[in-house]
Amino acid sequence: MAPRPSRAAAAQVLVRHRATPPGGRTVYAVHPGALPVVAWANLAGALPQDTGFVVLDVGAVPAYLEAALDPGASDLTVDRLIDILIAAYRADHGGADAVGGGPAGPVTFVGWSFGGVLAHGMTERLKPEERPDGVVLLDSVAPTGAYTYAEDDGVDPRIVLRWFAMFLGAKRGTDVPFRTPSATSSEVPSSTVGADHVLVGLEQLLRDAVACGALPEGTPVQSIRKLFDAYTAGLLRNNRLTFTYRPVPATVPLTQIKAHHSLIPSDPTLGWAELADRTLEAHSVPGDHYTMLIRPDASRAIAGLIPASRPPQLVKTRRDTQ
Amino acid sequence: MVKVTAGEVQEWLVQKIADRLGEDPSSISPGQYFDELDLDSTEALVIAGEMENWLGFELGTTALWYHPTIEALSAHIAEESAQRGAAA
Repeated sequence: MAPRPSRAAAAQVLVRHRATPPGGRTVYAVHPGALPVVAWANLAGALPQDTGFVVLDVGAVPAYLEAALDPGASDLTVDRLIDILIAAYRADHGGADAVGGGPAGPVTFVGWSFGGVLAHGMTERLKPEERPDGVVLLDSVAPTGAYTYAEDDGVDPRIVLRWFAMFLGAKRGTDVPFRTPSATSSEVPSSTVGADHVLVGLEQLLRDAVACGALPEGTPVQSIRKLFDAYTAGLLRNNRLTFTYRPVPATVPLTQIKAHHSLIPSDPTLGWAELADRTLEAHSVPGDHYTMLIRPDASRAIAGLIPASRPPQLVKTRRDTQ
Repeated sequence: MVKVTAGEVQEWLVQKIADRLGEDPSSISPGQYFDELDLDSTEALVIAGEMENWLGFELGTTALWYHPTIEALSAHIAEESAQRGAAA
C-alpha cells in the first residue's frame, strides 16, 4: 500500500486552551483521541484563571491513527509516543530550548484513559527537575499485568458493547441505553460470544440509538457496524501498545479520578496501586468514562481534585483512599 | 451489488456530505481532506455505512485512511467496484 498522502496543514499535537501567566502553574492534559480535543474546554474553564491549560493531543499523531487502522503496517510503541509528547512538552515548557516563550512555572500532568499511561510514562522519562509535581489519572487503566491483553485474549465483546454504548452517547450528546441482548446474556461464557452475537447486540443498540435521537432515522446497520469497528480498532491498538510496554514505578504522587460509571467499576485505582511508589489518591466524579470529560459537574469536581488548583496546605498525602 | 464510476461515487458523496453539513453541494471541494470538512468522525462513519449499504460491498478499514479525500476515495471505490464486477 502506498503511503497516505500528507496534508498541507498537519494537525498540531500541542493545543493551548489558556496561556499561563509568568511563573504560574500549567496543566498539561494528555488526550488519547476518541473524543474531540475541545472536550477539555470544560475542565480548562473550571480551573482557576491563573492556571494555564494545554492539551497534548496524541490523536494528532498520524502514526497513532495508522496503528489502529492498519496495524500490520505499524511499528509504533508506547515509548515512541512518549518521545513525541516529551518533544512537544519540552518545546513549550521553560528552559533555554523552549520555543514560543512557553511557561516555566510548576506543572501538573493530567491523562484521560490511555492518556494516563502516557502522562505517567512521560513523567518518568523526564529529568527530575523537568517533572510535574503530580500526575492526575482520569479513569485510566494501568498498563500492568492484570490489565494487559494479548491480541487474541481481548476483552469480552459484551463488555465492549457496553463501553461502545457509552462512547456513542458521549459523541452524540445523549444517553444511549444499553441492554445486554438475550443472545449474549451473562450466562453465556465469553469464549462462545462471537461475531453473530455482536451483530445482534449492534442491531439492538442501533434501534435504541435511533429511538433516543443519537442516530438519525434510517441509519443502516452498516453504519453502526462501521462505528463499532472504528471504536474497537482504537481499543485493540491501545491493548497492543500496552502489551509490550514495561512501565516503571511512579516517582511523583498519583491521583486516580474514576467516573461513577467507570469502564471497570470494581477496582478503585484501576491497577495503579501496583505502580504508585509514593502517594496514590483515589476519587470518583459524576458521569461515565467518556462523559466525565464533558459534563460540567464532572469538570468542576475534577478541577477541585487537581492539586494545581488547591492551596498547598489542602493537598492530602494519603495512600490509597478507597 | 451496484457497479459505479468514480463520478457517480463523487456525486453521491458530495450530496451526502452537503446534506449533513446543511450546505450547498457546490461548496464541497472533492479535493479537500475528510478531516478538514466540518464533519464529525461519527457522521463520517455513518456516511461510510450508508455508502456500503448503497454499494452492496464492505469498504476496507483503511479505505478512508489511504484515500482521504472525496476524489481519491471515489476513484478507489470505482476501481474496487470494477474488480468485483469482473470477478462476479
